[in-house]
Amino acid sequence: MWIERAALAAELPAAASLATRALAERLASLGFPVDAIEARPGTEALDVDITANRGDAMSHRGLARDLAARLRAPLATLAPPPAPEGPAKVAVHLADPGCPLYATALLTLGPGETPEPIQAFLSALGATPKKLPAVDASNELLHRYGHPTHAFDADRIRGAVTVRRAVGGEKLVTLDGVTRTLTAEDLVIADEDGPIALAGVMGGDGTKVTEATRRVLLESAWFEPRTVRASAHRHGLHTDASQRFGRGADPAMAPVARDLLVQRLQAWAGATLEGAWTAGALPAPAAPVPLTEALLARIAGEPLPLAEAAEALMALGCGVTAGASCLTVQPPTWRHDLTIPEDLAEEVLRLRGYDRLPSILPPLEGPPQPLAPDYLHRQALARRLAHLGFHQTVTYGFVSPEMDAAYPGPLGSDAYDDQAERTLANPLGQEYSILRRSLVPSLVEVAKRNLQQGQREVRLFEIAPTYRGLPEGLEDTWTVALLWAGERWDGDPESKAALVQAKHLHGVLKDVCLPGTERHVRCFADDTMLVAELPLRHFRRPDDRIIPAYTPHSRFPAVERDLSLVVDRNLPWQAMAEGVRAALKDTALVELTCADLYQGKGLEPGTKAWLLRLTFQALDRTLVGAEVDGWVAAALAAAQSLGATLRA
Amino acid sequence: MDPLLPPETAEAERAFPQALAACRDLDALLRLKGAYVGREGSHVARLMDQLKAAPKEQKRDLGAAINALKNTWEEALKARQAELEEARKAAKTLAWDRTLPPPQPARGALHPLNRLMGRLVDVFRPLGFHVEEGPEVETEEHNFDGLNIPADHPARGSADTFYLAAHPGQLLRTHTSPVQVRTLKRLAPHIHEAGGIRFLAPGRVYRKDEIDPTHSPMFHQVEGMLVGHGIGMQHLKGTLEYALRALFGPATEIRLRPSYFPFVEPGCEVDVSCPLCAAKGCRVCKGSGWVEILGAGLIHPNVLDFAGIDANEWSGWAFGMGVERMAMMLSQTPDLRLFFENDQRFLTAMGGLD
Repeated sequence: MWIERAALAAELPAAASLATRALAERLASLGFPVDAIEARPGTEALDVDITANRGDAMSHRGLARDLAARLRAPLATLAPPPAPEGPAKVAVHLADPGCPLYATALLTLGPGETPEPIQAFLSALGATPKKLPAVDASNELLHRYGHPTHAFDADRIRGAVTVRRAVGGEKLVTLDGVTRTLTAEDLVIADEDGPIALAGVMGGDGTKVTEATRRVLLESAWFEPRTVRASAHRHGLHTDASQRFGRGADPAMAPVARDLLVQRLQAWAGATLEGAWTAGALPAPAAPVPLTEALLARIAGEPLPLAEAAEALMALGCGVTAGASCLTVQPPTWRHDLTIPEDLAEEVLRLRGYDRLPSILPPLEGPPQPLAPDYLHRQALARRLAHLGFHQTVTYGFVSPEMDAAYPGPLGSDAYDDQAERTLANPLGQEYSILRRSLVPSLVEVAKRNLQQGQREVRLFEIAPTYRGLPEGLEDTWTVALLWAGERWDGDPESKAALVQAKHLHGVLKDVCLPGTERHVRCFADDTMLVAELPLRHFRRPDDRIIPAYTPHSRFPAVERDLSLVVDRNLPWQAMAEGVRAALKDTALVELTCADLYQGKGLEPGTKAWLLRLTFQALDRTLVGAEVDGWVAAALAAAQSLGATLRA
Repeated sequence: MDPLLPPETAEAERAFPQALAACRDLDALLRLKGAYVGREGSHVARLMDQLKAAPKEQKRDLGAAINALKNTWEEALKARQAELEEARKAAKTLAWDRTLPPPQPARGALHPLNRLMGRLVDVFRPLGFHVEEGPEVETEEHNFDGLNIPADHPARGSADTFYLAAHPGQLLRTHTSPVQVRTLKRLAPHIHEAGGIRFLAPGRVYRKDEIDPTHSPMFHQVEGMLVGHGIGMQHLKGTLEYALRALFGPATEIRLRPSYFPFVEPGCEVDVSCPLCAAKGCRVCKGSGWVEILGAGLIHPNVLDFAGIDANEWSGWAFGMGVERMAMMLSQTPDLRLFFENDQRFLTAMGGLD
């Protein structure tokens, strides 16, 4: 919201002597940060941020009020000559509690136009003067005093004016020329022909003031904030008026703003007051709020004298009754945000300045909780994968339907899943419309982009939830996906770069996963990308024990024996390893590896050669040749039972 | 030396060990091999010729003698060959060009946003904060109702919040605050034994913002919350002063400014003295020396009530900060989208390893 420097000083003379920077700092310390200061012809304008709870501060007068309380300086008086009230010239019926109070006046306009300084004031705030005194005056009052008003062309109103809910389907062409179809929740001002304004939001086009207007009927009412917010939201019409009524305007200002408007029209356009009258009454005041010494001291961090609190609250316009250890506070009509004791404590501290708050660490009242194992697991895994050369990615949780269809997700294609359950009602676009069931499509996109950017090798991982659509709703699973693409090269000029193979990703999975995860490695995008995706629970967890139980290791020499075998090409290593291990179950076998693989010339077609390396070591003695020979023979027998023969 | 063998053979046999030792490489060894045991012209080949011409009764003994001699030589040659091959292998590994950079183990990186969130957790650990997490798909109850956000608040609208098509009451959480609601509700029955509640809630959140250099429909927040006896603004200030100094350095100053969030009262924005220019004034702090870093306040009594915690006995504070915003400020990354593009060069440079 723009504030013009001189107009602020007009409300608070003490502000005139403050430098603009100092003024901005004071405002910020009161909770109104200044986003920008801009030069205007002959003055400066400040762009002030007003929080949603402070509708009362959305004007020069409103900000001046808070500043005055802070500076302990008086506000300029605001007491326009009251327009003498008489009988209603046009009947006004308030048919809905959404509008309890409606001040109005009927005037005949004379010649004249909006004074230059007022036009300049409006221009400085970024508003366009219409050069129609009734319109510009209403606009000026809104910015200066915060109370929205409206002037209708009285000659275009038929019969009595009623404030009521719209009948569903009723139409209103608003000032912006748009035809609005109203709902039964919209509060409208209507004449006998139908709605002439959307209450608190925008006037109607058919009754607007033009250069031809001779007589104006004013509206200076108070509308219930919730109703105005709902209408503004429903019609997408966020106007200066709806923002102020929507956050809560000051009902006591309704007759005052009417008087100010009358005064301006008389002065600027030689208008004659035909009559002024008010329908309804001020809404009941809010209930008083107590503020105890104890609560104030707790929030402030130190005991504060209640007298100081009372002084601050009174400076803000509150009525205060002091008790022994408690204040009873009647908030002013413009402060709808002061409803609980904490609100009052905030006001006291705000005026005092948050910079005066003490600073201490909260005492620990109980034992600290450990970090959750799941969280630690993910952190440790991320670090491990990063140290294994993988780059952690963060990609959007939603994808396009096509991307979503490209990969089944960590639970595989057999798992029940209904994409409709994972679809957003209001996505940013098709490409972000499905909560993803797999991280892989996102990683593949990232990998492709990296390869296009000239990366020779891409190693990525992501740890994030994936979703599965079940009949009862969504199920989320913490998921880990890895992608490896391109050429492996360690930068050694003596070694060659080579395409990544599935075995490399297997190796990584073997390092970080629980056993039995090889089937999860898949090739993607013409075999040039390797991916694996598994639920987090398949990954090795940090041990629960700080140090695992002691396992003794041998101090006697190890004996290594090799068996060169020819086996069927389709024989899986796991079968061989299990067979040999089973045969040597109670021996001193400590390690069994395949030290060499040969396939090709010199072998029967359909076979391969494995060099089995057996390592024996006993905990309690040096092994003798004969017993090792026996074990090797047993291993050979086990291998032979799987169709292996000794290689010549 | 077998007397059947000719004298020149005796001479060759005597010279063999020395000749063998003199072989400095495999080529020399091959030549020696050719000269002693080769098919043609070698000592052995000549002996075989003599064997053919020898008298019948000598053939058997002479043959055995030649064979023995041949085996001795061959074994020695083989052993020497193995030695030389070993030496050549060793020589090869040693002969790398020391001016070239050595091969490097692969280096990956943590994502900078995750690294920053991890750092925040590290900072709060010594104060007894643990980590709480919650689902990204939330209910209106947790995301709005429990946080004192009015039923007609614009943030609830479909223009700001993503909703599920099949479940109109379910949404993608718009902040990490629903974790507050869940955690307070869960811990409320045990709050006396636990002596209060204190936790951080880092996580991903969603808002319906178009993607541009400063907006993203998905981003990260870290929420902090503490509930105890007699907690006031002084504790919020004290904790944040500690934490932000731990993050930005001991000379860091903080500044609280009044502000408004529905779920706290009083509410405030927190600024830190600009960590990039030591508060002298720069582009990042727009010359002011201060940078806005997070929003905070004392937990609104309605939030405690909603969770079933007696607001007359317990009070607390909460803060929430945008991780991307902080990361961008600290790193001066000009465009938010870089964090979701995941270019490996960016990740390596910005995230790195712990």
